[in-house]
Amino acid sequence: MKRNAAVLAVMVVGVSLLLWAGWHNIRERRKAMQDANANRITLTKDVPSQTAASGAMGTPGNPTAMLKGHPAPAFTLVNSEGKKVSLADYKGRPVLVNFWATWCAPCKLEMPWFEEFRGKYKGDNFEILGIAEDDASKDEIVRTAKRAGVSYPILLTDNKVANLYGGVDSLPTSFYVDKTGTIVEETVGLAPKDEVEANIKKTIGGGL
Amino acid sequence: MILRSALLGLAFLQLNVMNAPPKPKSYIVLASDQQTVAANKKSTVELRFQVVDGFHVNSHTPKSELLIPTNLKLKPADGIKAGLPEYPKGTEYAFSFEPGEKLDVYTGSFTVKLPVEVTAGEHTLEGVLHYQACDHAACYPPKSLPVKVLVVGK
Repeated sequence: MKRNAAVLAVMVVGVSLLLWAGWHNIRERRKAMQDANANRITLTKDVPSQTAASGAMGTPGNPTAMLKGHPAPAFTLVNSEGKKVSLADYKGRPVLVNFWATWCAPCKLEMPWFEEFRGKYKGDNFEILGIAEDDASKDEIVRTAKRAGVSYPILLTDNKVANLYGGVDSLPTSFYVDKTGTIVEETVGLAPKDEVEANIKKTIGGGL
Repeated sequence: MILRSALLGLAFLQLNVMNAPPKPKSYIVLASDQQTVAANKKSTVELRFQVVDGFHVNSHTPKSELLIPTNLKLKPADGIKAGLPEYPKGTEYAFSFEPGEKLDVYTGSFTVKLPVEVTAGEHTLEGVLHYQACDHAACYPPKSLPVKVLVVGK
């Protein structure tokens, strides 16, 4: 009995030490960062979507993390042909909402994959909406999408849609929306091609 | 046994917390302090920038016209006659998912050299460095870093 109590006490001390060490390390790292930046100039934020990263939908570390499992925020944007397109137009279909930009190299790497999967899962009514979160001209956006071999709808940002989706402070950011309009998966940054396909399959299978 | 596993789990968690890179407010910082150059003679002011670890920015001459180059724009300053900035060459970089697609980037520190002719005394060189940063998988919106350096002509 006494031996058990002693073992338990040692373990409690061990856990406490680990927690203290973690907290101490984080504090030291923060202090070192503050010291290093004390005499340096801080950037000004100059892109609307960047400010939106601290919006109500998420946390500063992972602004989009709270959207999974929730209904995809509704939006109506203008496509590259000047026509209005709403997410609601795709009700009952699995949809990949992908935020990208002309200056985003990893975005342009995955766009041909999306196009390939759009063809592969056409029978499942799968669709992709590429939202250009970009200040570039419409012509440049269209040209870039064409160069990436994209034929799925490309929508132009209204500088508000990213806010609805948690700020989207880095690209590419994708939201996989199932037939019921629920976000079943979300990814920030370039994911491996097989992971993209797995997410698409999950989206198609969701809401059955 | 259960407690031992819990301890190991906590240790792993702690390691992950320590290794997670903090998201910086800026991806480049100006690392140059005051510079002293010969007054009324052609000289060079060296502006050293530091790219935050884990990130890269496009060089001044990225390989695609669609990528945003690193670009320094300076304001005219009394007592400083500045020439065109000279940018360093970038290094090749490829995302792991597409090793064939080579980009031209700056990582770590890089120095922009500015040919100047400065009158005697203290002058403030001001401008903005425009750049666009990415990490190993994602890119961040274009940013502007204010640049302010004291240049002394002696």
